[in-house]
Amino acid sequence: MYLESRLEFLRASQNPDGGWSYFPGKGSWLEPTTYAMLALHGTGWDPGLDRAWKLVRSWQLADGSFRPGGEVNDGTWVTAHAVTLASVRGVNDSSVRAAVDWLLKVVGAEHNVYTRVGSFLHLIKARLDVSHEGWPWREGNATWIEPTAHTLVALKKVASQYRTSEVEHRIQDGEELILSRRCSDGGWNYGTPNMLYVDLPSFPETTALALVGLDGVADPAVGQALNLAQQFRAETKSSLAKAWLQIALRCHGKDVAPPQESPFASRDVMLASLEALGHPEGNYKLFCAGGRT
Amino acid sequence: MNRRKFALLSGAAVVGAYGSIKLQKTAAPPKLGDGPAGNSAVAIIRARSYSDDLVSRMLEGIRQCGLDVRGKRVLLKPNLVEFDAATVINTNAAVIAAAVEVFHQLGAAEVKIGEGPGHRRDTLDMADDARYRATIPKFESIFTDLNRDDVSPVKGFADEPEFYFPNTVLGADLIVSLAKMKTHHWAGATLSMKNFFGVVPGSVYGWPKNKLHYYGISESIVALNRQFGRKAFAIVDGVIGMEGNGPIQGTPKQAGVLVMGSDLVAVDSTCCRVMGIDPEKVGYLRMAADLGHVRPERIQQRGETIASVRTNFALMDEYKDLRLG
Repeated sequence: MYLESRLEFLRASQNPDGGWSYFPGKGSWLEPTTYAMLALHGTGWDPGLDRAWKLVRSWQLADGSFRPGGEVNDGTWVTAHAVTLASVRGVNDSSVRAAVDWLLKVVGAEHNVYTRVGSFLHLIKARLDVSHEGWPWREGNATWIEPTAHTLVALKKVASQYRTSEVEHRIQDGEELILSRRCSDGGWNYGTPNMLYVDLPSFPETTALALVGLDGVADPAVGQALNLAQQFRAETKSSLAKAWLQIALRCHGKDVAPPQESPFASRDVMLASLEALGHPEGNYKLFCAGGRT
Repeated sequence: MNRRKFALLSGAAVVGAYGSIKLQKTAAPPKLGDGPAGNSAVAIIRARSYSDDLVSRMLEGIRQCGLDVRGKRVLLKPNLVEFDAATVINTNAAVIAAAVEVFHQLGAAEVKIGEGPGHRRDTLDMADDARYRATIPKFESIFTDLNRDDVSPVKGFADEPEFYFPNTVLGADLIVSLAKMKTHHWAGATLSMKNFFGVVPGSVYGWPKNKLHYYGISESIVALNRQFGRKAFAIVDGVIGMEGNGPIQGTPKQAGVLVMGSDLVAVDSTCCRVMGIDPEKVGYLRMAADLGHVRPERIQQRGETIASVRTNFALMDEYKDLRLG
């Protein structure tokens, strides 16, 4: 009932243009469309997914990036989602390569000589490693955990197909960035472990996302974070955080008890998708590095 | 590269996380302008606790400010940032619940609540933690997560050809900034004007909304208020505010007031004076002086006097020079 009710909600809430909105009845966005498509992948609903993929492809811009939704005219972090979808669907063409090239081009804006000098001179009043490139939400902004994690998922999927050495470099550097931004409690928040020399706490959902990005990484910090993720999963009330934690823990091979059987009682498309993905019989493996080491 | 450019480049890298160079202090403060013509009314209403009759208090303050909301689509914009049971980060649920009732009583065509937190993605979970769902009747049916609302472009905002705002915000006739009275380790204070950061959609600009940090904290506060200030009203929750290392890690401070008005510059200036902060030294208020009134002689203080309710909020060392004499 748990998995099927969520998939049924997704099937019923697809927009006429083929995409999904964050909440039914609104316009389509790439983020919920991605999660819905991943959740429904391989469930025998190909015509619906084909329509969705057609819409996603229509959002690609000339520079290779993807728009986050129909009303927005510039490309953002969701380009990583489009690459992940392409990989899952087995699409490997010039458009996808352009998207990968865009991801390889984009770095966090703090990765420049001025910030590094500022850090060296202690002008930046935070314990923050600015030596890594990472990925921002939008080009020209600083690096954050969530867009970096999503881009790592995407690049790990295409690493063997495109400009391998450059992709490998960015993957390794992105993983190092995530590790460098770990909070003192062992998890991650949006990307700043320390502010004005005061340690900040981690959040359950961003800890999960960081772990998804770090899938395949052998580092003691990952083991500690997985323990924290288990603790978060037991304690958090956030359904969104629980869903991401289930995906992250399963990606890392952790034994996670299945969620209690319950119908889907929300109207949140992202939540329905992520809960379906995190189910033991869901498509959580689509986020995993798939044996890459 | 000049000093300001350097500060922006380096500071913006981490300012989204509130951890870098003080942008406020890199630019020379602009000369304080005279403000628009006329005076602005600001009401200070005592409310010693959240169990006081906040509806009556709010009605009294709104009446003193002469606000007419009949037939208007009203959007209440609380300050929901993060949740920490040990302190008071967010606008209290009782204040929001009272505002819903007040604007219905005053004849608004509709009353909605909208917020787009800057750090956390599960807005409804935070609303639960902050007891919004438990306290505010029919909360879910009137609440919009502004981070995930549909958006429309606005031309020329923040040096961008197009900047996107939630349709719920653009479609409102009146936006009520239900802010929390707090110190802020970047802006000096966070009150009704900075509360507009929450109308910037995360689905387009991310969590945090880093674009605003690159544009400049003060610059963004002013730009957002230039965009929305003309259809705004402020009710600042100063019943219990936050002092010290605000807006998240500070400590509770009782001021025992609600501060209201249609001129958000004047409301924030008044709040600053209540908090023992000189608004004429706060960067964003100086920059916003063409939008409203900072100088006390241009603000018609209604309700309580500032002197009768002033309670100095503790300031971080970097902001000691903001203390009102």
